[in-house]
Order: sequence, then C-alpha cells, then structure tokens
Amino acid sequence: MNETEIYQVQTESFEGPLDLLLYLIRKNKMNILDIKISEITSEYLYYLQNCQGINPSQEGDFLMTASTLIYIKSRSLLPRAGSSQEESPEDKLIHTLIEYDKIQKISKLLREMENDTLLLWKREEISEHFENKEFDIEEVSTFQLAEIFLNVIKKREKEDYLYLESKNYSIEHKIEEILALVESNQYMNFFEYTDSLDSIEEILVSFFALLEMIKQHLVVAIQKKIFDSISVWKKGPESQLQ
Amino acid sequence: MTENHPFNLDSIDRQIAFIESILFVSKEPVEPEKIMNYLNCKNIGDFEKLISRMEAVYLDDGRGILLKRSGGGLQLVTKPEIHEHLKDFFTIKTSSKLTIPSLETLSIVAYRQPVTIAEISDLRSVNSIGPVKSLLQKKLIRISGRKKVPGLPLLYSSTHEFLLYFGLNDLSELPSLEELTEMFEEKEQPSLFKKNNQE
Repeated sequence: MNETEIYQVQTESFEGPLDLLLYLIRKNKMNILDIKISEITSEYLYYLQNCQGINPSQEGDFLMTASTLIYIKSRSLLPRAGSSQEESPEDKLIHTLIEYDKIQKISKLLREMENDTLLLWKREEISEHFENKEFDIEEVSTFQLAEIFLNVIKKREKEDYLYLESKNYSIEHKIEEILALVESNQYMNFFEYTDSLDSIEEILVSFFALLEMIKQHLVVAIQKKIFDSISVWKKGPESQLQ
Repeated sequence: MTENHPFNLDSIDRQIAFIESILFVSKEPVEPEKIMNYLNCKNIGDFEKLISRMEAVYLDDGRGILLKRSGGGLQLVTKPEIHEHLKDFFTIKTSSKLTIPSLETLSIVAYRQPVTIAEISDLRSVNSIGPVKSLLQKKLIRISGRKKVPGLPLLYSSTHEFLLYFGLNDLSELPSLEELTEMFEEKEQPSLFKKNNQE
C-alpha cells in the first residue's frame, strides 16, 4: 500500500463490520451480488489487524464477520458435495449486505431530513438548547435510582482516593515520622501530636500508623481511660511501662 | 358558540388571525380537525383554502415564520434561511444530531416495525442495545409489545415524536424501498420537503 492509500484509510471510521465490507466492495468497484470473497477477506483482515477505523468496543462484532468470511472462503476451496437445500453462507452474507445497504440509504435520507428540520425552529427550541436536560422531570424506576446512587457513590470514592493520594499521607511515611519523634523524645503524647496536624485525613493516617506500629511491636501505647490521651513509647529493653 | 364573542370569526381574515393565534401559543403541532370543529368548518376543502391563504401570507419576505405540517398537525416554525442568524443571536454553537448507529437503528425500526433488538443487531451485525436505549430516552422509539417467540423479547416501534423530529406527517411519507434505490441511483437529492415548499 502506498502512503496516500494508508492516509485515506485512516480517515475512515466504520460503524460496524458491514459498513467496512460495503466500503471495501465499493472501493474495489465490485457488485454486491458478485463479491470476490478471497480478495475482500484478505483486505478485511488487513483492516482488522491494523485496527483501522474500528471501534475497539465493537471488535467482537468485526471478528464474527471475519470468521464468516474465512468460512466462506474455505468452503469455496473444497469440492462441493452436491447442492444442498440450505441457504449457503455466501447467499446469507450477500442478503445481509443488501439489507444493510438499504439501511445505509435510509439513514442518509433520515440525516437529510434531520438537517432540513433542524433549520426550522419551533417554539421551545431556545429553552431546549439552554435548559439543562437534567431538569426535565422524567419517571425513573427504583432500580434506575439505585443505579444512579451507586454511580454517585463510586464517583465520590474515586475523589477521596485521589484526594488522599495527592496529599501524600502514607502510613509507611507516618510510621517513620512518628518513630523518629518517639526516638528523639523517648516519649510522645499522641493527642498533642495530632493537635498539630492540619487535616482529619492526616490524623486518621497517623492513628492507623500508630495501630500498625503497635502491631509490629515497634511501640507501646497506653491510654488510661477512654477519650484520654494516648502515651507512646518506643518498645525495647529500655522502655519503661508506667 | 362563536357568535357570542366580540371578535366574530365570520370573515376569512379573522379566521386566519384566529388560527395564527392558536399556532402561536401551541408548543406542539395542532390537529386541523380541532380547529375545524371550533370554526364549524365542515368542508375540508374550505379549510385547506384557509391554510393556503395563510401560507401565502408567510411567503412574504417581511415574515420570519412559516406554516408547517408536521405529525399530521399545523405548526408555526421559523424560516430555514434565518437559521444561521438565530444561531448567532442566541449563541448556540451546534445543534445536536443523532449519531450514525442511532440513525441506522431508527431506519430499521421505521421500516421493519415492530422489531426486536436481536433483529436490529442482526441486520446491523453490531450489538445495538446502546442506540436502542438512547432512542428510547429521546422518545423517538417506544416499546410496543413482546414478540411471541421463546424469551418473549420486547418489540420496538416508532413514535409520534419520530414523525415530528423528521418533519413527517405519517410513516407513509417515507419512500418505499424501491423508490429509495431509484433515488440514490439517480443521484437526485431526495427531499420530502419539496412538496411543502411548493405549496
């Protein structure tokens, strides 16, 4: 393929496997009723391999048609065992293509009609353009509501996750920080420490860090009664417990 | 019932004024029968004469609107030539159009209705749940029943909004499949609006 051809190819985007097939048939100036399957198949596969103009979400549909093409091609190579009553896959494909060709024509017609009517503004046209569609009162089912709610929650979760990451409060980091403090002062009042922090997030992470350090036997923490301050010591042979 | 009103509707001009006022305040196309009933107009020919006179009035270059028949009703719309200026004035950048998958799906529904999603997907060789959902939301198609085959799949048909969206009065205004092939072979611009514009 020369360069201009490749360029031309990349500007095309196909709505589905039939769109691509019809494009190839027209490009090679073939008649739908008389398709040279082997030629079309290899070109079709070339497009598929290079993902040219193919929407990745429709790849499965493109592959389905590819398998049909290969099946037809392989059948044509084998000697036929008499004429069967069934519709051959070629006929079926040709029929599908003819039908799809009609659909494309109707779509073109509808597009022209759409363009024509869009030029005629009706009452309410302006408000339709300006109003946010969300304000339209529409009946929704409980399931839809639940789905919307779940989506909102999911979105929030993502936000929180990003927020934490951007602030960079990692538990590992906090452990190092608290260990250093405990080591330099021998003792630490955890409440006094958390009072000096800016955000709830950081306080939470510090608390998790403290729990982790206790679990790893790096420190000893004592709280005399509930809501009382937490005293932290480094754990080691020299640590004294009150 | 009209004779008690101070603004009597006896003259043709007054009847035209009255129809204009109805269409001015109506958001949706108004059925001609409703207006005929109120005017006590029994003869469709007489009513058509009224409408033709109205249409002639709007042909004047000094008017910005025209009378359109859509979905079997009458409606006042702006003249197509003014479109660009309106867009500029109201700072509307783009008018949203249907996507090609949606158009293809609508084509199938319009010509094959009632039809199931499986049939649509089969004809397009592409899974078509997405466009069907979006067309349902836009109210351009509706669920019209269930097909009596295993699984009882839902059937979809076109809606009144579909007619309005494409400026059709009824489905029979869509060309037949044979006509369609001719249209595209002759490379002629198929326009269903010729008819209206000539009037």
